[in-house]
Amino acid sequence: MRTSIFHLLGAFAILALAAGPVCAQERSATRQGFNLPAQSGKKILLLRPTMRVGEQSTGGLFEPNADWTEQARANIGEALDASQRNLGNEIIIAPDAYGEDARALNEHMALFAAVSQAVIQYQFFVGNRLPTKKRDNKADVFDWSLGNSVASLPGADGADYALFIYNRDVYGSTGRKMLQVVGMLAGVGVSSGEHVGYAGLVDLKTGDLLWLNADAQMGGDVREKDGAAKRVRQLLEDFPGSTIAKADVVAASGAGK
Amino acid sequence: MTLPSLRALVALWLLALACLPLTAQAHKLRESGVSVAVDDSPLTVTPSRDWNRLDGNIGKHTERWTIDGAQLNDVTFYAGIEPGKPLVRERSKKREPLPKFSTATLLVEVPELLETTYRTYKNSGSFKVTTIEPGQFLGREAVHFTYEFVDQDELTRQGEARAAIIAGRLYMISFEAPRLHYFEAVIAQFRKLADSATLP
Repeated sequence: MRTSIFHLLGAFAILALAAGPVCAQERSATRQGFNLPAQSGKKILLLRPTMRVGEQSTGGLFEPNADWTEQARANIGEALDASQRNLGNEIIIAPDAYGEDARALNEHMALFAAVSQAVIQYQFFVGNRLPTKKRDNKADVFDWSLGNSVASLPGADGADYALFIYNRDVYGSTGRKMLQVVGMLAGVGVSSGEHVGYAGLVDLKTGDLLWLNADAQMGGDVREKDGAAKRVRQLLEDFPGSTIAKADVVAASGAGK
Repeated sequence: MTLPSLRALVALWLLALACLPLTAQAHKLRESGVSVAVDDSPLTVTPSRDWNRLDGNIGKHTERWTIDGAQLNDVTFYAGIEPGKPLVRERSKKREPLPKFSTATLLVEVPELLETTYRTYKNSGSFKVTTIEPGQFLGREAVHFTYEFVDQDELTRQGEARAAIIAGRLYMISFEAPRLHYFEAVIAQFRKLADSATLP
């Protein structure tokens, strides 16, 4: 009994020192001064989401899985179709991109992912903020950009903003899960799986990031329809001008009746 | 103690330990106009805008600075790499050995040293040096070079570096950023920072 109390106090003391950054970090932010009311007459270009789905090898390496990726892409596409009418403003589906356009779109998506990762790592994460970003936070400044080359993306000339969505889901292999169990027994933390999701609204003239919802620990198994719907709800909650959160509440209360 | 409560205790300890190293990080402000020594070495720079020095290092005698995060703008100082040492820390001396700077390394071979280091360290097969020319760094004869590579996050990054060999040690400063927007946005600031570098 005395040992248990010692362990409890020890672990809680470390958690208190750590000030709970894992549990208490922000997930979304809006650029200062940006406001998008519903039915504003603004057009939002919905870019084809980037999906990276695969398995984490025992050694921790990402091994892409084409079947899972295709499933997830279809599921997320369906869930987005269903959510569109709740986004509050006119949605334009980006035309299919080929050749140089497709390459440019992929590169911008990769940049969006890198920017989102930097926001999580260096501005949202309380214990890891860069001094200059800490200063920005105090002044309520959220200043990130993809650059004005977004204006040349396919479909950009017919819209005001673009909605970027990026998902990376890595499921722990059997070997990795076993390693995790062994790690637990040995007192070494071994992670298994990774579920990263970013949704961002970008100004198509300047490239400025107007709104971002980014989380490195998303819910919903994107390989399943229900899981993908959950993921899309999570990605688009608090989307400027949207009624998604309200619609969910209405749907949930309706189902309960 | 019952098995479920033992499990809960183990989980609590793991959570506590997982939180600890993450909060131990402390990036430091490098203020505009204030001269500062790099990695406690005689190499000094005077930034002309505020930068952040990232906590930790990627090797002995290295230091990294950024404005928006290492993914978006990354300045790395190599403040006196000794002969026989790699540019960055080897993850595994056996499985992933890195090339070493040596007394026989010529200035013109430094771009290749960075290239072969990145091929292993960043697993980047696409690295290419785009220009190499003679120049000045730390008031001495130096090599200036530019390069491009695709990183593991599928982003193409551009790089620019200056290197000099002084008293048998390698001094280098490099800047890397995504070629979309971020490289052009910060390259002038990097050049000012490199120009400000001095070594007694």
